[in-house]
Amino acid sequence: MTQAQVVLARLALLGLVLAAWQFLPRWGVVDARLLPALGDVLAMLGQLLGRSQVHEAIAVTAAEVAVAFVIAVPLGAAIGVLAAENDYFGQIFKPMLFYVFSVPKSIFLPMFILIFGIGFEQKVAYAAFSTIFIVIMSATAAVESVKSDHVLVARSCGATRTQILLRIYVPSMMPVLLETLRISMIFNFTGVMIAEMYASRTGIGHLIANWGENFQMPQLFAGVILLAAVAILFNEVVRHLEVRVSAWRT
Amino acid sequence: MSAINVDRLSHVYSGTEGGVPALQDITIDVDAGKFVVIVGPSGCGKTSLLMMLAGLRHQTRGAITVAGKRIADPDPERVGVVFQEASLFPWLSALDNIEFPLALRGTPRDDRRRRAEQMLTLVGLEGFGARYPHELSGGMKQRVSIARGLVQDPPVLLMDEPFAALDEQTRMTMGHELLRIWSTTRKTVVFITHSLTEAVYLADEVLVMSARPGRIIDRIEITLPRPRTYEMMATDTFGRLRERIWQQIRKTE
Repeated sequence: MTQAQVVLARLALLGLVLAAWQFLPRWGVVDARLLPALGDVLAMLGQLLGRSQVHEAIAVTAAEVAVAFVIAVPLGAAIGVLAAENDYFGQIFKPMLFYVFSVPKSIFLPMFILIFGIGFEQKVAYAAFSTIFIVIMSATAAVESVKSDHVLVARSCGATRTQILLRIYVPSMMPVLLETLRISMIFNFTGVMIAEMYASRTGIGHLIANWGENFQMPQLFAGVILLAAVAILFNEVVRHLEVRVSAWRT
Repeated sequence: MSAINVDRLSHVYSGTEGGVPALQDITIDVDAGKFVVIVGPSGCGKTSLLMMLAGLRHQTRGAITVAGKRIADPDPERVGVVFQEASLFPWLSALDNIEFPLALRGTPRDDRRRRAEQMLTLVGLEGFGARYPHELSGGMKQRVSIARGLVQDPPVLLMDEPFAALDEQTRMTMGHELLRIWSTTRKTVVFITHSLTEAVYLADEVLVMSARPGRIIDRIEITLPRPRTYEMMATDTFGRLRERIWQQIRKTE
């Protein structure tokens, strides 16, 4: 298949799904109370975006996501690099990190509520906690993706430790690091949403949970579309960067 | 004048039972401008020796002098190294790979670009500077690697089985190309290989090493005239030299 055919097929599939969403509820094939027509959902989304309550919720959620991300990524990356580069630290902490990584983080949410109460800190702390393990694992893998041959070549060219770090480690790790950024954002976003939906007074997750409980389906789907759009946009921007810096990876 | 002098070098790997002797009492003297090839069975310590010549690894005993000065750490102005399997940096273009050693020293951009272009021409890759390693064939990658080893104009070039990963035909061509580059630059070359044909074809002198602990057990002067040609491989002299090296290696195993 040519590139054009692939794009065409994808657009056709998307069109089909959207058309089904629009017409199946209208024709009464599916219950419009459970799945409101796409047109109604989009109209609702337009309305919601005009409300100050929604603006506040978006601002709160965005702040939580940003702060949790800024805490989890550098901290996780530092721990991951340390675990990979320092044998002593790695041998002691790696098994524990791997064990905790395998446990679903949502079971710890009640503890975060007990420690921080319900609010900004609790949601940020929980999201950072649920993100940091994937960052640690990926950072470890990133360090291990640096080839010892390349370090040897650099040393033979007289590179200092700093030069090896900047000219060999950073470019070698960049594709994996960007991938980490992308995947950790998925975990981070999920963490904030779970925290907001479980117990919160503000935020998009809280609104969505409320709409669901009150059977306000157009609002619920409008929220889903909004979140999906933001998540996909972030993911695609980073993926685009990833492709650009890893053109050499074959 | 000797370009490389190795004086009673020995090396012991620290291990669980008091250490494993890897290299034993190695003494080598290479005159400037000579092409020396080291052969020996796998695991005899050839690569270790080369790493020590490059200052990348430290020996237990003995001294290495290159261009009149002791080698303790890597010094790209005295010693260029070409590794097995090109080991180019895949995120840099061919030209940037060649410039890498100069960039480390902070050579001005224009100077290093001009120098790298010269090297690219020397190794016969004019016009390929913008290509990335994954866009180059195995032989081309090794040419870039040689250019990188020569870019700082060191008097000595060390080569660790540089053509081992290439197919037979490319390997022959690259050997021939290396001799051409060597004859225009007049570097002192120390070249490690497993191929006896390659050894005889390239060398002024072949050093044969024994199995571990590695020692120099024979030095064979290759009297074939220069420039070497492919036809020489079919001569009796070539066959006899090759046979002598083979006998020595067989004895050690």
